[in-house]
Amino acid sequence: MSGKRNIFRICVNAAVFILLEVAALVMLSHNGQMQNIWISKGIHAFHAFFWGGAENIRDYFSLKKQNAALAEENFRLSQTIRAYRELTGREMDGDSIPETTGGYRYIHADAVKISNNRMHNYLILDKGSEDGVEELSGVITSNGIVGIIDAVGKRYSYARSFKNSGMVVSARIGKEGPTGEIMWDGISSNGAVLREIPHHIAVQPGDTVYTSGFSSIFPPDIPLGVTGESTVVNGSTFNVKVTLFTDFSSIRYVTIVHNTDNGEIKELEGRDED
Amino acid sequence: MKTEKNFTLMYLMAVTAQILICNFINVGTYVSVSILPVLVLCLPLNIPVMLLMFIAAITGLAVDWLAEGIVGLNMLAAVPVAFIRNFTVSLLFGKDKTDRAEGISIRKNGFLRVSAAIIICQSVFSAIYIIADGAGTVPFLFILIKFAISLCCSYVLSIPLFNMLASDEK
Repeated sequence: MSGKRNIFRICVNAAVFILLEVAALVMLSHNGQMQNIWISKGIHAFHAFFWGGAENIRDYFSLKKQNAALAEENFRLSQTIRAYRELTGREMDGDSIPETTGGYRYIHADAVKISNNRMHNYLILDKGSEDGVEELSGVITSNGIVGIIDAVGKRYSYARSFKNSGMVVSARIGKEGPTGEIMWDGISSNGAVLREIPHHIAVQPGDTVYTSGFSSIFPPDIPLGVTGESTVVNGSTFNVKVTLFTDFSSIRYVTIVHNTDNGEIKELEGRDED
Repeated sequence: MKTEKNFTLMYLMAVTAQILICNFINVGTYVSVSILPVLVLCLPLNIPVMLLMFIAAITGLAVDWLAEGIVGLNMLAAVPVAFIRNFTVSLLFGKDKTDRAEGISIRKNGFLRVSAAIIICQSVFSAIYIIADGAGTVPFLFILIKFAISLCCSYVLSIPLFNMLASDEK
């Protein structure tokens, strides 16, 4: 009984100690500019350490789900290859798979850090300039687009998430339907709005939305989501609600896609502006 | 009762002395003299640790507010001294001291043990104070030199103060 009381007393003392020290640190940070920066740096370091640890634990417990998704994707890809083999009658060995396909270069990457709960979300990927990553490359998964590379370090790169209030991507309803621009709705995790769809075109709920390929960042025909309700804006265009396929909360493995002709396109655009 | 009143008065006078040291005695960048750790060490042993930490916090805050300095700095350094005070006393003078709440003095417990207790308390205080004061902008060597000089100066001041505050009667 005495031992339990002792442990309780130690816990209470430790709690009061932490409380008083935190109070002192708060006062210190409010009264000294240098101390404020120092304490902020300390808090950020602690936050990064704690956040990183929590992320690792989350990854560990989502391995089963990730494996199931990868196995499903693997099966779908195998089926696609088998169908192509049937159609073309040609075999392709692993060594002859080109790095660049259809003017786009693909690099596999792991998302080491993801923010999901802000208006301006981002991802940190474990591939950088040493791996051939370039700025203004797209980040995709088999379920749709994830973001755009904004800054590239030697071994890591920083990507703006699609869940960013300022990010707009060109998209199309169906493979040959009307084109508009899609952006995150800013409310739900998997909600988006497809804007600028001409008024005279009927939009059916349940249609698949794909990338249009007009952006020079993302290749065409990546499935993004399915259409929902649509509303008329200014009597001339539709705003269509889209439910995205990508589950941003469980992103772990992504593909970086870079348009190899991007430089030439930018140069032409620059010439046009001049 | 008379002794307790005397102790409170002397404690308040010592706090005032600390405020005067902070305000008027400028001994250079490499020295920061403090008698707060020895004040905390001399507080009666029958005071619970939680109350001891509050007393240390309030004393530190009083010095912070009334002296020219950054508010929170003395409090930040004084609270850990209060937190480890009973542990230090138990370690150096035996657990009986804290259990029976007997007073400690140089005459009863010996100069070396009392010195060790003062040095432990001063070290904890000075280390926290100097690191927080530098706020990551000063080199490690500077911190080390300042710590060593401050510890020596504070120790020299602390011995007579300890003798005054920690009487055998208490």
